[in-house]
Amino acid sequence: MEQSIRPVSLKSFPPGAPFEKKQLCAYGPISETSIPPLRSESMSQETHHPDVMIDLVKVTKVYPPDVQAISDISLTVAKGEIVFLTGMSGAGKTTLLRLISRIEKPTKGMVEVAGFDIAKLPQRNIHQLRRKIGMAYQDFKLLPERTVADNIAIAMEVVYRPPSFIEKRIRALLDQLDLVRKYATPTGELSRGEQQRVSIARAVANFPEIVLADEPTGNLDAETTGKVMNLFHQLNCQGTTILIATHDQSLYQRTSHRIIELRFGRLRSQVSDPPEENSEEEAASSLFPSSEA
Amino acid sequence: MRFLTVVLQHTCRNMLFTWKSQIMTLFTVSLSVLIFSFFYLIYSNALHVGQELGNDLRLIVYLDEDPSPAMQEQYQMKILKFDQVDRIEFISSQQAFKRFEQQLGDNRDVLTGVPADFLPPSIEVYPVRSLDNLSRIKRFSDYLQTLPGVLKVQYGKEWIERFFSFIQLMRVVILLSGSLLIMTTTFMVAHTIRLTLLSRQQELELLRLVGATNNYIRMPFLLEGALQGLLGASCGIAALLLLFNWIKLQFAGPTTLTLLPFTFFPWPVILSIIGIATLLCAAGSFSTTRRILQL
Repeated sequence: MEQSIRPVSLKSFPPGAPFEKKQLCAYGPISETSIPPLRSESMSQETHHPDVMIDLVKVTKVYPPDVQAISDISLTVAKGEIVFLTGMSGAGKTTLLRLISRIEKPTKGMVEVAGFDIAKLPQRNIHQLRRKIGMAYQDFKLLPERTVADNIAIAMEVVYRPPSFIEKRIRALLDQLDLVRKYATPTGELSRGEQQRVSIARAVANFPEIVLADEPTGNLDAETTGKVMNLFHQLNCQGTTILIATHDQSLYQRTSHRIIELRFGRLRSQVSDPPEENSEEEAASSLFPSSEA
Repeated sequence: MRFLTVVLQHTCRNMLFTWKSQIMTLFTVSLSVLIFSFFYLIYSNALHVGQELGNDLRLIVYLDEDPSPAMQEQYQMKILKFDQVDRIEFISSQQAFKRFEQQLGDNRDVLTGVPADFLPPSIEVYPVRSLDNLSRIKRFSDYLQTLPGVLKVQYGKEWIERFFSFIQLMRVVILLSGSLLIMTTTFMVAHTIRLTLLSRQQELELLRLVGATNNYIRMPFLLEGALQGLLGASCGIAALLLLFNWIKLQFAGPTTLTLLPFTFFPWPVILSIIGIATLLCAAGSFSTTRRILQL
């Protein structure tokens, strides 16, 4: 009998409380032995709760001269959780993701990610945090003159993955995102939808502990959106924490995952109860519309 | 090992990407090294010539009368008080006459009837054979002139003064060409690296975002600078060797040049010039990378 996708169910998850992930993965976990270990660089300040992956306490970000992007936000995301960040344009979703990946520093408050207090993280050690995070950017951040494979490989090259591993991983990801034929195409020659998928592939290529996706399906059709969401779910099954900033209501409308709404830089609401009337299979199919699993 | 492979890959990519500026930089570094090493070669050969000529150098101190053994001791003490010398010889009037006779050879008849003590006694002072000592000859001579009973002090004043003017000039030229070498290598390499950095800014930003270490980002640029220095200096030295051989060929034959010991740099000097140029270029690259990438 085929296993169905069961999204993570978070019932009134209190900040700091251990997150119990009891779910079945339609894909099954990727064998740990198939992923070569990275060089040991354990500098993480393990003072935080081991089950909390992202912890924001009263965080404010003001851009000069006086633009308040986010204001007084407190948020806790558990290890292995999927969270949807929603809100209008300019609500502060991207700023929040940039704070988490330490592209920006908070003006006030504390941001702790994977055990790193990012305000205290020195410049020379930022790579340790960034290696735990895979980010799919809204503007893709691709190198247009380099091929699809090269763009994805960058994330793995910086951690010295063996070339054979990189090659295999790229092919698997392209296969999953329906981009195999574009393997050697310069990304500058791709459509926006294809570029978006390359950006997502690069974000997840290195099996990061956290995936931050900024409008990951903004340029995708329903079928491709399903493929992308399947990929996220597959990673989530292995314990990856995923934050998706999106406008696309179809992604989170019937999901059981936590939905956080931002409005004018403030936390508007958090919804984490799954729709009771839906079966888990229905929930999965609503979240991943094209899932064949 | 993997790190080295990645660094080499990135360096090659960088250099291919900006090959025009790379060639310009290589040319400038080569030219600077050529100019500097050309003058340095002349200088080092001049020093060598100076040493060779200095072997025959002596100061002849003419005295009014033959010094007694006690006086000889006094003279010796006073001379040694001023500077260390290789040796001191006292030549009496008789010895001077005999020498003169020998020098005249078959023409010694001209001395018939001339008293054997018509030549003044003298002290021959042989300074220590080094160029530094040569530069002090004039002061030494002035000092000897002040000793009691001294009539005159003689040495190859003119050629020594001309030679030292030349050496001084060469020192200034080397200083200037050395500064030129430092400036061009450092600034040109820094400029080329800057161009490479700016042309690849997008990729460098991405590398940081995906977790590349500072060394991962910086090393290819350092290597690029060092390679420019290494290749540029090697080309410069090779060009100088060609020039040296050409000059030797041109002046082959009975000319003054062939009489002088005109030699090319020994290996340690060649390696030092290449090493210093490499280090300077790497330093130029390091400072630019540090400033632009703010690492």
